[in-house]
Amino acid sequence: MYFGVESAEPLKGVSFPPARLPEEAEDLRAEVRAFLSEEFADGAFEPQCDGWFNGYSPEFSRNLGKRGWLGMTWPKRYGGHERSSLERFVVLEELLAAGAPVASHWIADRQSGPSILRFGTEEQKTRFLPAIARGECFFSIGMSEPESGSDLASVQTSAERVDGGWLVNGTKIWTGGAHLSHFFIVLCRTSPQSEEDRHAGLSQFIVDLSTSGITVEPIRLVTDEHVFNKVRLENVFVPDDLLLGEVGAGWEQVTSELAHERSGAERFLSTFPLFVELVRALGERPDERARVAVGTLVSRLWTLRRMSLSVAAALETGAAPEVEAALVKELGNRFEREVADAARLVVPSEPSFEAPDPFRVRLAEAISHAPAFTLRGGTSEILRGIVARGLGVR
Amino acid sequence: MSTPRERLLETATRLFAQPHEEGSPDLLWQTLEDADLTLVSVPEKHGGAGGTLGDAATVLRLAGRYAVPAPLAETGLLAGWALAASGLPVPDGPLAVAPVHPGERIQLDRGEGGWLLSGSVRRVPWASTASRLVVVGHAAEETLVMLVDPASCQISTGENLASEPRNDLVFDGVRVDYGEVAPARVDEEALLLRGALARSVSMAGALESVLELSLRHAKERHQFGRPISRFQAIQQQLALLAGEVAAANASIEAAVEATELADAVADAAFEIAAAKVRVGEAAGVATRIAHQVHGAIGFTERHSLRHFTLRLWSWRDEFGAESEWASRLGSITARRGAEALWPTITSPLPSLAPGSPRLIRWS
Repeated sequence: MYFGVESAEPLKGVSFPPARLPEEAEDLRAEVRAFLSEEFADGAFEPQCDGWFNGYSPEFSRNLGKRGWLGMTWPKRYGGHERSSLERFVVLEELLAAGAPVASHWIADRQSGPSILRFGTEEQKTRFLPAIARGECFFSIGMSEPESGSDLASVQTSAERVDGGWLVNGTKIWTGGAHLSHFFIVLCRTSPQSEEDRHAGLSQFIVDLSTSGITVEPIRLVTDEHVFNKVRLENVFVPDDLLLGEVGAGWEQVTSELAHERSGAERFLSTFPLFVELVRALGERPDERARVAVGTLVSRLWTLRRMSLSVAAALETGAAPEVEAALVKELGNRFEREVADAARLVVPSEPSFEAPDPFRVRLAEAISHAPAFTLRGGTSEILRGIVARGLGVR
Repeated sequence: MSTPRERLLETATRLFAQPHEEGSPDLLWQTLEDADLTLVSVPEKHGGAGGTLGDAATVLRLAGRYAVPAPLAETGLLAGWALAASGLPVPDGPLAVAPVHPGERIQLDRGEGGWLLSGSVRRVPWASTASRLVVVGHAAEETLVMLVDPASCQISTGENLASEPRNDLVFDGVRVDYGEVAPARVDEEALLLRGALARSVSMAGALESVLELSLRHAKERHQFGRPISRFQAIQQQLALLAGEVAAANASIEAAVEATELADAVADAAFEIAAAKVRVGEAAGVATRIAHQVHGAIGFTERHSLRHFTLRLWSWRDEFGAESEWASRLGSITARRGAEALWPTITSPLPSLAPGSPRLIRWS
């Protein structure tokens, strides 16, 4: 031991070996860029901040499906394209950087589809995955409840066994896109919470949002946009064949995909369209203060992307880098906000949704959505707790 | 079966982890030299160990992790590299390189039997303990590199916060034989970039130790009847500290890789600049959190935390602080324009996309 340093081993959780994208991924990048420029030129979309959260466009999603850019890594027999997760990484980061409207299919492609592929029955895989991959079947998340946010294990929505299926009762909340999606995967209590194991007794169900007994009530954002909903389930019958995975294994199923969910580019690119407008607004010869501000953001973004790519490469090998993924999200979400903070100071202007110039509109989008960045998908405080546990201090 | 990189890491760890006797830098240097750790990436035909830049970075990062008080970056990655690139043999002993600040120039004039050097340079790392100085100088029509005996110039005393020598040098008609110089294949800009990369790598090593010491202290220090690591306030700070160490690690890994794959160091300028900015930021946040977690003891000479935090506070301002490199990144970003922002972030390394207009030049 020297100066108190005990070993030269890399510290767990903070190592990010460089990952290189395969050549075919770079070819794919060129294809996606060409597609996006065409779509943009045709007026199919206007770049927006947070397009994966509220950029709903079923048509755009279907177009991506036609190109083979949904369900990319899934087996071909389920409508997938058997491409590597690094190729998928490239497609996703290009879509996000362009501010494309990808919210309709985002959850189905990122979360619901992979869960069905992993835990679903053959019948479920055949029924849902090809439709998701075509961009015709959209999903929402049925996790949070009025009394269950960060403490997800405390959900109270219940599923009771009845003849031929389950009867679901309860209320889900912050259900993004429930008014536009076809299904949501609902986390339910199938047996009472026990003191010994808080995580036992939970199960997941694939629920058709058009089932009778379901009411979807909008909860408008501060901007008056309709993304969130409160979804009431009153004696909703869910047939046996829509139970996802094992009865009682809901917690393990829900948490198993978190490294995928947390390390993706949507955790640091939500305000990238504003960054583009910032660079445009500054022109070719910005002053020193603006140069330093922009250069600092460039450095942080470049680093975050390398971290995210490193985690993607680790996931491809079957590793479960939980701490690394939590760090990408925590740092990435702060960066998304920092873009807005820097932009408004180096280009003094008022944020406005009705402004004629894109800079001010993107600024309004970024500022008004910023509170969501550090809340959704695990609050920053919860993520730091996960990191602390991984470091052995919790 | 271990790889050459693993064997190198093993040797370095064994040596670095031994407490050296304070006040015996010659002995430490001899040990490092005997173990082939001083010229890791210098080609064998120039007297080095023939390793890659990645090998050298592995050793340098580890030296940062153990706060090894020796000019490893200056000797191998800077001076040794500049000599070898220009076809000169690399001598034994610790080396220093000058100039290291933008705008500083050493003038060469023809004298009797040799070049006459004139000019002054500031805060040259490890000049006072170097056996030889490697100088890049300018004659009327050429840039030359040469070895200079430190005894022939005026050297000020001086050191950085971590007590590493940082000396001002005055060359006042110092003479170097015509036969002992070579046309320089490197310039001050290349030295600055390599220096920035080297400091970033060393800082990443020091940052890992800052995290390790902070985690240990939080687990060992009891207050209110329990280890302070049990308090969420401390846990959240340690997680933020870990995030900075992670970002520093990711950025230096990527910058070293980019430099390794580049034909010339200037081709990796974007990555090196981005890494120096990010690691410099990490140093600021990490040292603040580490000292807060350590309480008063970490702020004293009795605690080893200072070996790392003092170095970080010095190194982040050497070879360009965050603001300087960020300004350059900002310039290139502005010049390339809004539509090129994303391609600049993702652009593949030159070797992966032959013929792509990837090169970013600063001027």
